[in-house]
Amino acid sequence: MMKKSDNIPEKNPFKVPDNYFEEVNRKIISATTGIDKEVKVVSIYSRFRTSLLIAASVAGLILLSFAAIKILTPVRPYSQLSEVLKEMSPDSYINDIDLQPLEEDASSLVLSEEGPDVSKKDIIDYLLNENVEINDIYAQL
Amino acid sequence: MKLNNIQSGDNITELLKTDLNKGFRLLVEKYSQKLYWHIRRLVILHEDADDALQNTFINVWKSIGSFRSESSLYTWLYTIATNEALAIINKRKRNAAVSIDDMSSYFANSQEGSTWFDGDEAQLKLQNAILQLPEKQRIVFNLKYFDEMTYVEMSKVLKTSEGALKASYHHAVKKIEKILVSD
Repeated sequence: MMKKSDNIPEKNPFKVPDNYFEEVNRKIISATTGIDKEVKVVSIYSRFRTSLLIAASVAGLILLSFAAIKILTPVRPYSQLSEVLKEMSPDSYINDIDLQPLEEDASSLVLSEEGPDVSKKDIIDYLLNENVEINDIYAQL
Repeated sequence: MKLNNIQSGDNITELLKTDLNKGFRLLVEKYSQKLYWHIRRLVILHEDADDALQNTFINVWKSIGSFRSESSLYTWLYTIATNEALAIINKRKRNAAVSIDDMSSYFANSQEGSTWFDGDEAQLKLQNAILQLPEKQRIVFNLKYFDEMTYVEMSKVLKTSEGALKASYHHAVKKIEKILVSD
């Protein structure tokens, strides 16, 4: 068994810089215990848990209120739409036109010639369906 | 020495539970030199030993929370230090430009040699002989011869049976004696 005293001096042959161990100990402590381990471990969630719960509750209440308002307030887009369409429809346009003078004048023009038996209304409907301007019809008459 | 290691390890273990920062500072102050020399004897170069030592304590700090109180603090530190030293050696092997198979020529031809090695010829011969050993045998020899570690402690550090360690040390001694006699 090799004993330390066997022809080999005890002296350590390796050298280190002066004050090395003081310096390296300081570096190690600075690199390790300098960090707050407790802060690193605590998550954001656990830190702000109460605030997060309150914020979530408030947000939930706001959403529920909004939903309730939407449900309870009747909205009839179709009725609104039908009113709009009514205003836009040719029927309502026709209803605004005073047809009687047109009927009287048209009949004098058409019935003077031989032709198919058409009613005054048919003539006026025909003219309007052909997108003839009402003012132009009046001008001709 | 063995009893002192265990006793002081237990005191520091207790302090780590109650005051982590203070306990860790005490740990560093008590063991940094021993661990440094263990690493240095394996990696040879001071710069590499310095890196490995700091990495060792950073790893110890990171896992200090999961340290089991029933395990020996002393052997646990040596396990981490040995692994860090081996990591440096393996990294150096991948860099073909740096090779320390022969300390005589390395220290004679480099600034590192003249600055950080102060041994006489006998010391240089011994270090060269140790370098010729297989890696595991080197570690076993160093831990037994220089650190005077028991086989019980060594088996915890190297995760090897005491019988295998005894055989390894025996072979290492024979090889070194043969080299020293032949020179």
